[in-house]
Amino acid sequence: MDIIRKNVKYIIAGLLPALLIYFIFVLYPIVRSFIYGFYDWNGLSEPIYTGLNNFKIILTDEVFWQSFKNNIFIVLFSIFGQVPIGLILAVILSRNIKGAGFFRTAFFIPMMLSTVVVGLLWSTILNSQVGIINSILEAIGLEELTQNWLGDPKLAMLSICAVIVWQCFGYYMIIFLAAIQNIPEEILEAADIDGAGELKKLTNIILPMLWPTVMTAVVLCISGSMRSFDLVFVMTGGGPANATELMATYMYNKTFAIYQYGYGSAVSLVISVISFGLIIISRSLMSRNLSD
Amino acid sequence: MNENTEISLKHGTSNRSISKIALCFVLGMASIITLYPLIWMLYTSLKSNKDISMSTFALPTTLHFENYANAWKQANIGTYFINSIIVSVTAIIFTVFIGAAAAFILSKFRFSMQKGVYSIFIVGMLIPLQSILVPLFIQMRTLRLLDSLWSLILTYTAFGLPITIFIMESFMRAFPDEILEASIIDGSPIYKMFLKIILPMTKPAIASVVILNFLNNWKEFSFALIFISVEQKKTLPLGLYNFLGAETSNYAGLMAALVISSIPVIAIYLLLQKQVIDGMTAGAVKG
Repeated sequence: MDIIRKNVKYIIAGLLPALLIYFIFVLYPIVRSFIYGFYDWNGLSEPIYTGLNNFKIILTDEVFWQSFKNNIFIVLFSIFGQVPIGLILAVILSRNIKGAGFFRTAFFIPMMLSTVVVGLLWSTILNSQVGIINSILEAIGLEELTQNWLGDPKLAMLSICAVIVWQCFGYYMIIFLAAIQNIPEEILEAADIDGAGELKKLTNIILPMLWPTVMTAVVLCISGSMRSFDLVFVMTGGGPANATELMATYMYNKTFAIYQYGYGSAVSLVISVISFGLIIISRSLMSRNLSD
Repeated sequence: MNENTEISLKHGTSNRSISKIALCFVLGMASIITLYPLIWMLYTSLKSNKDISMSTFALPTTLHFENYANAWKQANIGTYFINSIIVSVTAIIFTVFIGAAAAFILSKFRFSMQKGVYSIFIVGMLIPLQSILVPLFIQMRTLRLLDSLWSLILTYTAFGLPITIFIMESFMRAFPDEILEASIIDGSPIYKMFLKIILPMTKPAIASVVILNFLNNWKEFSFALIFISVEQKKTLPLGLYNFLGAETSNYAGLMAALVISSIPVIAIYLLLQKQVIDGMTAGAVKG
């Protein structure tokens, strides 16, 4: 038995393909990006070592801070948008109402579409000429509310966030639904016997038991928002006037539009550090809340 | 049912019907907001551009199926579609075989650094894509794979491995160790046993992994954007992105193209809903 389980030949043959492809296309590039971050390099000529210079430029660039603020805005909008909406709908649908299956299926559909499809669809819907949003407002006599949703720097970020909520709330709903279904029946039955009303059951039993799931959802919001790129890239490209610039679009524009590979690597390093940092902070904050 | 009668006993009927109306209202609004944009996309794809500019709401008066034919041929959606299929399917085949072999070794064999190797793969689920975009582009340029579908196939394979190994390893760990013994007694080589016994036993896990990786590969945009610039090699998301640039106000054509690219994922979702949802939340539930 152990002769097989410790057979080095088999172990190597089984693991090598996975390790090799993973190393070449994931791990090695990450290590390289750490290194490039300290160089000035246009991708063609010999890289020049510049120490922390790239990081200095990033941290003093107003556009970077604007994009950082926008990322944080998306994180907060997601935490206070998708998470509560998903939670409310999950609580409603967990009560065995008629058609629950249909609603569950329907709410998850946007999550299936590629972000590019969602971006192009909503760009058209929000379009100030042919879009349906403005047409609806005109049809119900609220013409003064019609807007250039993606062209107005004050509104563009809000419009993008609304689209993110539209696409993702179903995902959070499913996660919460699964968690609610894991709450043991007996606990809820015991509460019934004690005469607890629906609202009491919700606030005293269901929500506290869902707290770990809420925590997971917040972490997902953070990591998802930090990664977001496709939607903004397709809908606004970071414009108008950097109003919707994200750290990822900033990195893309710096790297591939003006060929600053060293600088772009430094930006991606900063993004990784920020998103890991945020996840750690939010985890510790929320676990402290739990023990209170 | 039980629950409802109990509520009515406690709060009386009026209270109950108010909350019922409120629930219906919330669900109804949420469904309209979720589904109407998609329904609008569908029927707008069958209108002519002239109809669209006259009224965005109106249903099509005559059905313009030629929008689909035009998108498929003239706007190259057909080429993008085929590229997307080639890339997604090839990458899945690699991911499943390579991932299953690694998962088998990690779950059933014993060697030093076993935990370490497993962790290295699992950490991959947390790596933000941005931290790798630039160096991977340079890597592909060095390997002369830019503008080749192989750049995407290899990248998608590598990025699919963490979740694939995670799902398959935990599935295979439940297999009894005697499986290995049986192979000694048979005297059949281990790779044969892997293909003939282990893989068939892993079918449910393979199904979720295949679905999950297909969806991820089908929707992927960022890597395609930086690796591919020639028209004949573009995948659907990238091709769609360029559609608007090429045909500025052809909204009917755009909607047709969006519908074409969404059909496979929606079909998979409606047919295999449970596996799709299980797969997509597998990473999340783990945290």
